Formats: sequence, structure tokens, C-alpha cells
Amino acid sequence: MENITLLIPLNELCQIEGISHELIMEVVEYGIAEPAAGSDLSEWTFDMESTHWIKKAIKLNQQLHIDWVAIAMVIELIRQKETLEKENVMLKTRLNRFL
Amino acid sequence: MDFKDYYQILDVTENAELKEIKKAYRKLALKFHPDMNPDPGAEEKFKEVAEAYEVLKDGDKRAEYDEIKRYGSTSNQRFGNSNSGSPDFSDFFNSIFNGNTDGYQHSGQHEPDLFKGQDLDLEVPLFLEETVDGITKTIEFHVPVFDGRRPKQIKKSLKVKIPEGTNDGERIRVKGQGAPGSDNKLNGDLYLHIRLIPHPLFDVQGIDLLLTLPLAPWEAALGKKIEIPTLDGKINLSVPANSASGQKLRINGKGLKTKTGRGDLLAIVKIDIPPGTTSETKKLWEKFAELEQYNPRTDWSN
Repeated sequence: MENITLLIPLNELCQIEGISHELIMEVVEYGIAEPAAGSDLSEWTFDMESTHWIKKAIKLNQQLHIDWVAIAMVIELIRQKETLEKENVMLKTRLNRFL
Repeated sequence: MDFKDYYQILDVTENAELKEIKKAYRKLALKFHPDMNPDPGAEEKFKEVAEAYEVLKDGDKRAEYDEIKRYGSTSNQRFGNSNSGSPDFSDFFNSIFNGNTDGYQHSGQHEPDLFKGQDLDLEVPLFLEETVDGITKTIEFHVPVFDGRRPKQIKKSLKVKIPEGTNDGERIRVKGQGAPGSDNKLNGDLYLHIRLIPHPLFDVQGIDLLLTLPLAPWEAALGKKIEIPTLDGKINLSVPANSASGQKLRINGKGLKTKTGRGDLLAIVKIDIPPGTTSETKKLWEKFAELEQYNPRTDWSN
């Protein structure tokens, strides 16, 4: 049985993604990710949802050479789109049950 | 192995300046980026564009590529004696730049630990029932490895315990189970992305479940005790008299389980009419119509 991780401490996240604490702080400031726990920077941990968006943000920054404000906007729009798509599928299913 | 014309891919001329190359890349990258372009072919196209840019933006690599393009070979061609190629790039790319390790560094601070193995993302479908109790899943997937010459896929199988209360869209990390890292670097990680499989009866709304409850007109009018299905067995529900279509009946604590508690089950009334009427039931409906003065279309009248 494999061990699973649901929270990653700041240091480990920085290590596996090859990024600095400062970059994580920036990503948090822009609302791309939010620490799941920890009041002090050194105690921050991130859940897998935040980790996913941090990875996505880094990738967008590398691949598209766009700044962090733009990345924050893109990510917010991707999130909204995903929520709407999910809602749309659900509502279509609901509708079919009533037709 | 096909020769790749990186200039053609980026739609620039062979003497294009770095500025033009950057501009062309940006334009194409935005157009084909898989986050912006849902077409199935977009991701492949994006990879091709990224590969072309990786070569043409770098003076040394571009010179080496130009030499091959012109003469069909290069004076200092490298051979595949190290496993530092990238599975993200084509065989063509890896055959030229294999071993040229520092070439993969992009912009310094944002570059992941160099040659840490690739992370893998995997969708894991779960039945609603499986989220209530938690379940041990056998996950099968392919790991890309690079043997120094070309990328290969190795099949792998793992047992993972999905905790109870895991819901749609949640992610789970399985450390070190991604692609192997080269040169004693870390392995990549495996990220599982949970997807709930559509249920024949229940729809998911946040942490609540919706169940369509078909009623005959007289059941809706008179009320009735009905046995209804839930994720953990059948229960009795009292449908009150005069239940209208679309009305929601809430059953506490029979929704989805989450890390912090449990949602509710909402039974939504849908009034069905019997498919055919006999002359006897028709008489009864006519009697009913005489007695009732109800007009369901009052909204229409001015």
C-alpha cells in the first residue's frame, strides 16, 4: 500500500518545484493558492488543490512568459470555467431526468 | 526520424531575430496552450512550438540546428550516452541535443530541481458509494522513462487507499511514484485527480445528493410513505399531502461524506401521469375536473 500525501510543507514544495519562498509568497498574495495551515511562513502547508494551482502557475509563467497578474487572472478564469462546466453537466443531467 | 523545421513551425524566416522568434512563439503558445485550447490536437501542437522555441531562442542550440539543417550533420554531434533527454521533446530534438544538459534550464528561479522526474497526473474515477466508506484502489498507469535515446512507457500498478470523504475534483499525491529522476535526482510524484462517476439515481450538488422522486398524481395529492434508495440502504420517506412537482424533501445526513461531516439527500418531486386511461379512469378524471376549479396557468392571464 502506497502512502498518500494530502498536505505539503512549504520547504518540500519549494524543493520539488525548484522555487523560492518569495515566489510562494507572491503566489499566495495574488490569490493563486492559499496555505491550508500555519500562521508563520515557515510553518505553511499547502493542500493538493493549492499545490496544483501553484504548479500550473509556474508552468504558465515558463511556457507563456506572462507576468503574475496575468497568471492570477488566467487561473481564476480557468477555475470559474471548471466550476461552470461541472455545473452545466449536472444541470443537463437534472434536466433530462425531468423531461 | 523526421527532420523538424523549427523555423516553419514558428512561422519565421531563417534569419529572424530573437525578438521576432519570441513574438512568434508567444502568439502560437497562447493559441495552442492546452489550458486555452480544448482541441485534442492542441497539446501536441503546443509541444512542437515549445520545442522549436527551446532551440531557436538559444544562440548555441540554434547554431547547431542551423548546421544540421544546412549540411545534414554537425561537427560536434553528441551521442546518446546519457539519460538526460527530455520525454517532452521529440526524438529528433533528443538526438541532437541529448547530453547538452544545461540547455534545459529556462529562467533560473522558476526551474524545478533539474532532472527531477516528471510528475504524472492521473484521473481516478470513483463511485459515489466508494466515497462514503473509503476504498483501496488498484491504480494502473504508464510511466514515461528515457533510456538515453528515446522515451518509453513502462506499465505500473499501485495500491492506494482513498480516504473516506474524498470528493469530486480532490487531489491526492503519491510521493515518488512519477517518472524516475536521472543522475540521482528525485523521482517525480504521482497526482491522483478524483472524478465521481455519474450515478444512475443520484446527482451531486456540492455535498448534497439529489434524487428525483416520481409520484403518481394521487400520491402527490394524498401523500404517501415511500421507500427510497440512499447510498447506504433504503429508508422510508413520508411524502406530505399536496406535494407539488419540483418540491424538495430533505433527508438529513444522507448526502456525500466529507472530511468534516455529511451532506443531505434531497428528494425532488416529479409528477408523472399514467401512460393510458381506461374509460373508467377517464370518467373519474372528468369528475375531478368538474369539482376542481384550479387553473395552473394563472401566470399567463393579464
